[in-house]
Amino acid sequence: MSTLVKVARYHLVQPVLYLAIAWGVLAFGFAVNVIIFATNPATATDPDPRYTGALSSFFTLCFVRGWYTIGKSLPFGLTLGVSRRAYYLGTALLAVVLACADGLALTGLQAIERATGGWGVDMGFFRVPYLLGGPWYLTWLTLFAGLTLVFVYGMWFGIVHRRWSLVGTIGFIAAQVTVLLAAGLGVTWAHGWASVGHFFTSLTAAGLTGLLAALAVALLAGGHATIRRATV
Amino acid sequence: MTPAISVAGLTRRYRDQVALDDVSVEIAAGSITGLLGRNGAGKTTLLRILAGQEFPSSGSVSVLGGPPAENDHVLRRMVFVREDQAYPDIKVCHALRATSWFYPNWDAGLADSLLADFGLPPGKAIKKLSRGMRSALGIVIGLAARAEVTLFDEPYAGLDAVARQVFYDRLLADYAECPRTILLSTHLIDEAAALFESVVVIDGGRVVLAAAADGLRGVATTVSGPVLAVDEFTAGRPVWNRRRLGSQASVVTVGQLDADRRARARSLGLDLAPLTLQQLVVHAAGWPAAPEAVNLEGTNA
Repeated sequence: MSTLVKVARYHLVQPVLYLAIAWGVLAFGFAVNVIIFATNPATATDPDPRYTGALSSFFTLCFVRGWYTIGKSLPFGLTLGVSRRAYYLGTALLAVVLACADGLALTGLQAIERATGGWGVDMGFFRVPYLLGGPWYLTWLTLFAGLTLVFVYGMWFGIVHRRWSLVGTIGFIAAQVTVLLAAGLGVTWAHGWASVGHFFTSLTAAGLTGLLAALAVALLAGGHATIRRATV
Repeated sequence: MTPAISVAGLTRRYRDQVALDDVSVEIAAGSITGLLGRNGAGKTTLLRILAGQEFPSSGSVSVLGGPPAENDHVLRRMVFVREDQAYPDIKVCHALRATSWFYPNWDAGLADSLLADFGLPPGKAIKKLSRGMRSALGIVIGLAARAEVTLFDEPYAGLDAVARQVFYDRLLADYAECPRTILLSTHLIDEAAALFESVVVIDGGRVVLAAAADGLRGVATTVSGPVLAVDEFTAGRPVWNRRRLGSQASVVTVGQLDADRRARARSLGLDLAPLTLQQLVVHAAGWPAAPEAVNLEGTNA
């Protein structure tokens, strides 16, 4: 068994956080929404289906998963004779496997949602307009890219927090805001907002998925460069 | 013997302090070495660098023939259990199961019997364990991993006397069965002295003594008795410490005493007591300040 697989397995030795919490929260949100939608029947002016947007909670929990894997599990991981690089890549492997499996499960639930007329209450819980509204394979691909992205982003935060604590984390957020601000100012000075707007309005869901995947790879590289400096 | 650990000119600076200052030391393969020193002396920093968890500011470190930092080939043959070891939110049995995946020589039978000896419940969440029980878990992991290089940092913080004796006994028994390189930092020097084949004493980030434990026996002696007799006996000999109470004096003198010298001491009515390892370490760490240069020639490991 390769070290990377061992690291991924190490994270899953206590699977509650990785499986039960994320899916438990989603199930709870689903139940709450079903009750609300069932007690408030759709009117003629409502969109079809009525979207909840509650799927975002799953993405948030995947971000927390990523943060947690580094913050809580890194010190013991290093005790077990694993290099930071192997630990990081093994954790990234877990991110990919979980995003793949969770994406498949969510795609399956979306298919059921379509087949049952929004769970019988005209609810769009697993469907998201534009983003997750295409064929199943594109839905899965977008979920896969998106879930990997938030996990990897969480990992980077976890590394920064582990190494530089709260002050470092705030600095990390500030640095990101600064980069965005600089990019925004750059576009303004270049009078490029029309082009940016055109880029996003003409972007297909498949194109967006590609963008998410590219961003995930960039974040993965950033986290990798950071963990090489992390001490525990 | 080939050194399993070799450190040369190792320095680790933090913003306002020097944790390790030009440390050079070698640890023989297949030995149990005590890493001794005061709080803040640099023991943990040295162990962390050896385990690749911390990076040196300068100098070279070699463990099992290569630098440990980010070196999977070296790291997978080592285990390092820290005093303040942090664990994820898992149970004792989960930690042991995860450890078993990473160490090919993992001895599940040894782990089980150590759990029983320490009274450590495998189904208990680690975060709910007492300080001593967490230390016991670290000991189980460190011993049952049977890694070629095993580093323990204050492994028995919070453990009671019985549990500490269990650790000493099980460590020696397992070492006899499966010899490996063990480096163990501790404050409880005399208690653990019988374990050590060699000792390294660090003070203020510098190695002040690195010697075979056998070579240290009798290297310094406390001479007590009437002031005049003590003065006559120790005249011309290096002295570490001199105390006087009325007509009685007590002097720590350095160097082996041969049969003639011992007979002379008896004839002068003097008591001779060899310094314990702990007393030696206290002196090596410069307390009280040695009035004359300390020469431990021939005792270096």
